Amino acid sequence: MKRRSLALRLIALFYVGVLVGAPLVLVFQRAFSPGFDSVWHSLTASDTASAIRLTLVVAAITLPLNVIFGVGASLLIVRHPSKFTRLLDTLIDVPLAISPIIIGLALELAYASNGVFGRALAHLGWQIIFSWPGIVLASAAVSLPLVSREMVPLLREIGDSQEQTAATLGAKPTRIFFTITLRSVAWAAAYGATLTLARIIGEYGAVLIVSGNITNKTQTLTLDIASNFENFATKQGFAGAALLAMISIGVLIVLSLAKQRERKNYEYHD
Amino acid sequence: MSLVILIPVIALVGHAFTGGVPAFWDAITQTEALDAIRLTVLVAFATAFINAIAGTAIAWVLVYDRFIGKSLLNSIIDLPFALPTVVAGITLVTLYGPYSPVHIDVANSWVGIMVALLFVTLPFNVRAVQPVLESMDFSAQEAASTLGSRPLRTFTYVTLPTLVPSILSGMGLAFARAIGEFGSVVFISGNEPFHTEVASSYIFALSQDGELNSAAAVSVFLLVFALVVLGVFGFISRRISQRIQ
Repeated sequence: MKRRSLALRLIALFYVGVLVGAPLVLVFQRAFSPGFDSVWHSLTASDTASAIRLTLVVAAITLPLNVIFGVGASLLIVRHPSKFTRLLDTLIDVPLAISPIIIGLALELAYASNGVFGRALAHLGWQIIFSWPGIVLASAAVSLPLVSREMVPLLREIGDSQEQTAATLGAKPTRIFFTITLRSVAWAAAYGATLTLARIIGEYGAVLIVSGNITNKTQTLTLDIASNFENFATKQGFAGAALLAMISIGVLIVLSLAKQRERKNYEYHD
Repeated sequence: MSLVILIPVIALVGHAFTGGVPAFWDAITQTEALDAIRLTVLVAFATAFINAIAGTAIAWVLVYDRFIGKSLLNSIIDLPFALPTVVAGITLVTLYGPYSPVHIDVANSWVGIMVALLFVTLPFNVRAVQPVLESMDFSAQEAASTLGSRPLRTFTYVTLPTLVPSILSGMGLAFARAIGEFGSVVFISGNEPFHTEVASSYIFALSQDGELNSAAAVSVFLLVFALVVLGVFGFISRRISQRIQ
């Protein structure tokens, strides 16, 4: 028995090591082997710096929108069920089942200046596709379900008895919302928001299609990394990749902290 | 919501059927399209199958084994979820491609595509099974071994059936993800039409060539296929868990 479990442990470690561990080590090895100066140089090169700036701008616009949408949608789905929310509940998960390439293509077809909806917008002088609003739309689409997927199960589980108690005791609806509802789901929302941020920063396929991939203009960091790698500027490509890998590790740490806090919060409420 | 999902999906379906059903059929039965779809489905299925076994074994180790570094193993499992696909893509082709530092070259082949898919879908398989193992009640296993059942027999007939629903739902998620995967695959696959071009990469190529209607047609087919597969996996796993109860 003991020998069998040792063998299983070694197989598991080997599999994860080859598949996940080795690539992680390689990213940092490739990025930092030319030295810290070179990494700094790569990240401040004009194309990469402008890509980082664009990624940050897109994240700063998309993240709050999707968090507000996610919180609102989850509350609607759980607390005010109707035909509309059932449709919402189904549609909201669609991005998880679709290839990001298809999401990008669908957005292009809808909003390109010769597209169904884009023609009207083009008349107003708004360019969506091959410009930053398209990148915002693509980022919003791929990360749409991430907040509500964390919040909906939690809201179902905790019920609304506390809110009802507060209401009978005479608390106003806004006060109930801020002191009870929002507080009880805060960590789940934070968890979902972190996932959303990671997805926005890391999205590649959908953004590749809608952005037009123009260096110094519509390239986000992921697109810049890919084009540097393809153009044999591997040193620069891996510098960007290492930056993103560090962000992912940070995200994982935040997620595990949020999970612990959420559990603690929940036990406390019990 | 309708801005980012509903209107685009309607536009997609509209474009797919612009030339009517014959044009749609024509687009998805092009040799290049069929080759890409066949390759994608086969490799995605093989991936889901291999990771179902590996993922279950890893989940088992994470729940019942105790060793130094286990929590590191546990947290590294989620990395493929958090790591941008393009980072995975360029790293995997550097590590297991023509300039491999460990002299393993699987680039430009279906094996390379599978390595990328195994990487991105591993967390689905592990995380689907792990919670079930954590809350498992071992009284049935103890009863079986008291009655003289060997460990392997107990595992096959008592433990495994209770795990099957969660293994299947993990496989369903992994399969759906693998069918649509792009960023992590395109660098290692080489994208050679008829040979190593996956479906999402074919759709991308069509869209770059301005063949938007054909791209939309293949997308709609792939979308429906992924939803059907997810539905089937969900249905089977619900049926089995009902029967167990």
